Amino acid sequence: MNGRIRRLGAALLVCYLALFGWLNRVMVLDAAQLNARPDNRRAVERDFNRPRGDVVSADGVLLAHSEEVEGRFRYQRTYPTGDLFAHVVGSYAFSFGADGVERTYGDDLAGRSADFQLRGFADPFSEEADVGTVALTLRADVQRVARDALGAREGSVVALDPRTGGILAMWSFPSYDPNPTSANDTLVAGAFREALDANPDKPRLARTYRERFFPGSTFKVVTAAAGLDAGRVDEAAPAYPSARSYTPPLTTKAIANFGGSTCGGTLAAILAVSCNSAFAQMGAETIGPDGMIAEAEDFGFGETPPIDLPQAVSSSFPADFGRRLSDGPEGSAGVFENTPGLAQAAIGQGDVSATPLQMALVAAAVANGGAIMAPHVLDEVRDHRGERVRGHADEVWRTATSPETAATLRRAMVGVVTDGTARAMAVDGWEVGAKTGTAQLGTVPPRSHAWIIAFAGPPGGVPEVAVAVVVEGQEGASEQTGGRVAAPIARAVVEAVRRAG
Amino acid sequence: MSLPAALRRRTEAGLLVLVGLVVGFAYALASLGSSASLPADVVPFLGVVLGLFVAAHVAVRRLAPRADPLLVPLAVLLNGLGYVFIARLDEELAGQQAAWTGVGVAAFVATLAVVRRVRVLERLRYTVGLVGVLLLLAPLAPGAGPAINGSKIWVRIGPVGFQPGEFAKLALAVFIAAYLVERRELLATAVRRIGPVRLPEPRHLAPLLVAWLFALVVMMFERDLGSALLFFVLFLTVTWVATGRAAYLVMGTGLFAAGALLAWRLFSHVQVRVDMWLDPWQDPTGRGYQIVQSAYALAWGGVGGTGLGLGIDGRIPYQETDFIFAIVGEELGLVGATAVVAAFVLLVGRGLHAASRIEDPFAKLLACGLTTLLGVQAFLIMGGVTRLLPLTGVTLPFVSYGGSSLVSNWVLVALLVRVSDQGATEPVAEASAQQVPATAGGPR
Repeated sequence: MNGRIRRLGAALLVCYLALFGWLNRVMVLDAAQLNARPDNRRAVERDFNRPRGDVVSADGVLLAHSEEVEGRFRYQRTYPTGDLFAHVVGSYAFSFGADGVERTYGDDLAGRSADFQLRGFADPFSEEADVGTVALTLRADVQRVARDALGAREGSVVALDPRTGGILAMWSFPSYDPNPTSANDTLVAGAFREALDANPDKPRLARTYRERFFPGSTFKVVTAAAGLDAGRVDEAAPAYPSARSYTPPLTTKAIANFGGSTCGGTLAAILAVSCNSAFAQMGAETIGPDGMIAEAEDFGFGETPPIDLPQAVSSSFPADFGRRLSDGPEGSAGVFENTPGLAQAAIGQGDVSATPLQMALVAAAVANGGAIMAPHVLDEVRDHRGERVRGHADEVWRTATSPETAATLRRAMVGVVTDGTARAMAVDGWEVGAKTGTAQLGTVPPRSHAWIIAFAGPPGGVPEVAVAVVVEGQEGASEQTGGRVAAPIARAVVEAVRRAG
Repeated sequence: MSLPAALRRRTEAGLLVLVGLVVGFAYALASLGSSASLPADVVPFLGVVLGLFVAAHVAVRRLAPRADPLLVPLAVLLNGLGYVFIARLDEELAGQQAAWTGVGVAAFVATLAVVRRVRVLERLRYTVGLVGVLLLLAPLAPGAGPAINGSKIWVRIGPVGFQPGEFAKLALAVFIAAYLVERRELLATAVRRIGPVRLPEPRHLAPLLVAWLFALVVMMFERDLGSALLFFVLFLTVTWVATGRAAYLVMGTGLFAAGALLAWRLFSHVQVRVDMWLDPWQDPTGRGYQIVQSAYALAWGGVGGTGLGLGIDGRIPYQETDFIFAIVGEELGLVGATAVVAAFVLLVGRGLHAASRIEDPFAKLLACGLTTLLGVQAFLIMGGVTRLLPLTGVTLPFVSYGGSSLVSNWVLVALLVRVSDQGATEPVAEASAQQVPATAGGPR
């Protein structure tokens, strides 16, 4: 029987060896993958029992902080400014994970990024928890002005420094208070989050970089840039005919000017009054599909801006307007299957959509000599002694257009403020350029998104701020709407940036 | 070859001191980890634990001086480590587990004292067998005890509830060993040829079928998959060791497969176990929760573990009983989990070594059966917790919280100690074993 006992022992040993091998798989080989599973809360639980760094604004206001508390976890994340920065700073909740800066810079805040780990090796006996403070480029004072100026109207405000891409303010209404949804008590947090998600106004949606709108006439800046870059438009020619409307080839549907007005002329004149007939004709006949598509791409349409916030969305411009059907009139770009669609797209209607961030970047491109700097919210990461660990490296995202074209557009946009639809944007002593927009929603009664994009700064220099404002679903569809509704908000923000110096 | 008795006992004493230090340190560390302070009761605790261990050691010195020196230290290590984890998870349960440890060690001593010769049990085989069957079926008696989590395995006597199945396994191991000693020649030689296959006589298959039916009854009416499986594996293994006929293994496996298939077809809870074994992430917050959380605990432990008392407990239902191995893995890592696995491998090794050393066929088969019970049960639950196997709810011997399990395993180790002592005391020449069949009435 002893032989069989040995075989029994061998069989049991094989079982235990298999168990040992399996343990290696679960505990070592697959461990990282298991730890990273979204429903695995262990990493988060550990982090809630450790200190986490602050998030502060460029003007030194505390935006996110971890307080030591009694209870399930040692720390509770709090947001002293409530709803003001909810869409930027995000929230850090046990039940729902992290969003916004809390997510993109979570490793720095937890002291877990490569920078902090290297420091940990260098100073292994440091008693103090070395977690990072994340300082943003956003200013709380400017952000507050944006919030107050927009008020209780659904809409977005984005202000950034065209020279660096640093975001100065990024507000959209409605927002939400991240404190209750980040409560350590998961029942409380869950109830608040459910209520927010059930709200049809979507307060958790960061409209500034996660929602697309018809850009309306603000897109005419891109159309003008396409004409200039293609060499088919300059400040003297062509002079578009004075007309009430423009009817593209292949359709009988006319594109009318606002309020049935008559307009036409050269670039500065048609941009100042936002002449639909002229820009539709410029896009459809003067420039054509290839030039328009290429220019939209150069300005960043079709690509997600590389902003350091999660889940940003791209803006879009049609990629195709069909086959070329005929040469069309003398000197025109030709007639294509969807030339009527191109005419609509050239004035920011039809199949064009853009985030407020993207339109602010259009203004920034004009302001910064054609180069769009990568937008970002991080200024620098600091250690617990307040010393700089890492800054943001500014870099060009897109070369949207040439310096010459940018200069021409800049003059034209300044003209919109001095002589056109954006007179409300004028700021004493500063050079301000702007373009209004009224994106018609095609509803009855007529409603529209009121837009403005602008840049401003001391005369002659590179403008210090670029702004985009959209106020959603305003009554009426007159081109005056953008100037009347959106311009005062943009001006208030520009003045706040100027005060901040 | 064998060590003299005194040296064996000195080895055991030394190992026990080592184990006492390990458990004491682990207890202090676990308290430091979970509350950042040394527990006030660390000294009395160590005193009581060491006192119990010394009692076990003294009992072995007096009652089984030639016993294997590894068996008791290994049991003490697992028991002590289990206690540390239970104390770290739930103080109230820790008090109860401490009391059960006392009862367990008392049962260990009592078993050594009463069973002075293994043969005593052989003579009582039918009584023991009957007791085993009654114990197995006791929970099914009306009003015996509550069904907990669908399993009807409890019997309540006054304030104390216990699981008679834990003791039934020991009784049945005794009975099967004795039965096979009586019949193994017949079972091994009586064959019927069907073509090239040599099968045992149908009437000798009856015990196998009875065992199978018992397992099915346990599974169906008590809903105790683990015990049913253990019981069946015990029977099959001991039968094979006794007879050497692979046909029993083949047929047993076939019967097992049929039973498993039947259970899978008939019972939703068996289907759930299998489904959650294949993919617990299809319902990670519901039926797969336990398995998923167990996997996360093990992964979180990694190689070195979080440290005693520093894991994130409270996420796995039944963390003190069936799933305690997941907590061990989380806090002691692969290193600690491997140590526990190794302790069981050593226990199994020493048990089978005792079986191979002793001449008495009953003692041999008994040691095989008991070792198989211990080894397979530990493998089933460690494999279930880690998702190597479908989950069968059994305890991890010595480590899990639970009085019945702890006491019965101490009795089991006492019987192995008795076998190993007897095997070392009566070294019989290898040759004499061959004379046994001749004198037992072979044809002349």
